Amino acid sequence: MAILNNRKSKVSDEIPSSSMADIAFLLLIFFLVTTVFPRDKGLSIVLPEEQEEIEVSQRNILHLLIQPTGAVIVRYGENEGEQTVTAAEVEGIWRQGIAQNENLIAAVKTHPNAPYRYMVDVLDALKTAGSTRISLQILEE
Amino acid sequence: MAIRQGGLERKSKASQEIPSSSLADIAFLLLIFFMVTTVFRTDSDRDIDWPEAQATERIDEKKKNILNIWVERDGSIYMNDQPFTMEQVSDVVAPLYAASDRALVISIRGDREVPYRIIDQMQKELVSAGVVRVVFATDLEQRLQTQRR
Repeated sequence: MAILNNRKSKVSDEIPSSSMADIAFLLLIFFLVTTVFPRDKGLSIVLPEEQEEIEVSQRNILHLLIQPTGAVIVRYGENEGEQTVTAAEVEGIWRQGIAQNENLIAAVKTHPNAPYRYMVDVLDALKTAGSTRISLQILEE
Repeated sequence: MAIRQGGLERKSKASQEIPSSSLADIAFLLLIFFMVTTVFRTDSDRDIDWPEAQATERIDEKKKNILNIWVERDGSIYMNDQPFTMEQVSDVVAPLYAASDRALVISIRGDREVPYRIIDQMQKELVSAGVVRVVFATDLEQRLQTQRR
């Protein structure tokens, strides 16, 4: 019987770790399924505060009138002359304008029935050209 | 001697099994990655066609300070999975804006075909709620698509 005492105990003195990978994978699958990567991106703009109206000289305004067809009518402040362009061409027009007048402000006036994406296209062109002074308005019919 | 060393019965020293001791480490590594990057969704995505823009940039604000306002093609408005009318927008947003210590950013998630009239009304509602920072949510436009257009 003394021989029996020398035999090792059958109960392991280590914490069983064979199921650790199973637990980790279970949690892993849970997080894989529930993860949603945030898609917080877009074109940022700062809205004016209420009753904040700034008088701007007409010659510092670049009017961009967006039509329901997506065409953009461009008019420089006081000038009567107009030209019709596409949204992509607005980028070049802004670059030209800001080179001549560094106080230029883009007044984007969108027709009420024009799809939202035409306004986004023009805003995109202005942002791409580095414009920061943008005013968004609705085109009075 | 010949029997001991040259015996065919002796097992190879290289294990026949694929080592699996590092499996748990790999699993935990991935687990920690997903735990850190997970943001539980606050509102479910609505089915809209995103407008596209090249100048799309990330919003530099904490997730909790961003409020999504969804505008569907038919002009219906949703915030946090609840439908709202246009008139309710400023009443709902104003207290949230005050609670966020004026840090709230509104992300307008409009369908690309929605008439601009609705987006304009939305801006007026937000101005009356005192909101200043607004983002028009867009998808990044690829250069190739632009060239084709």
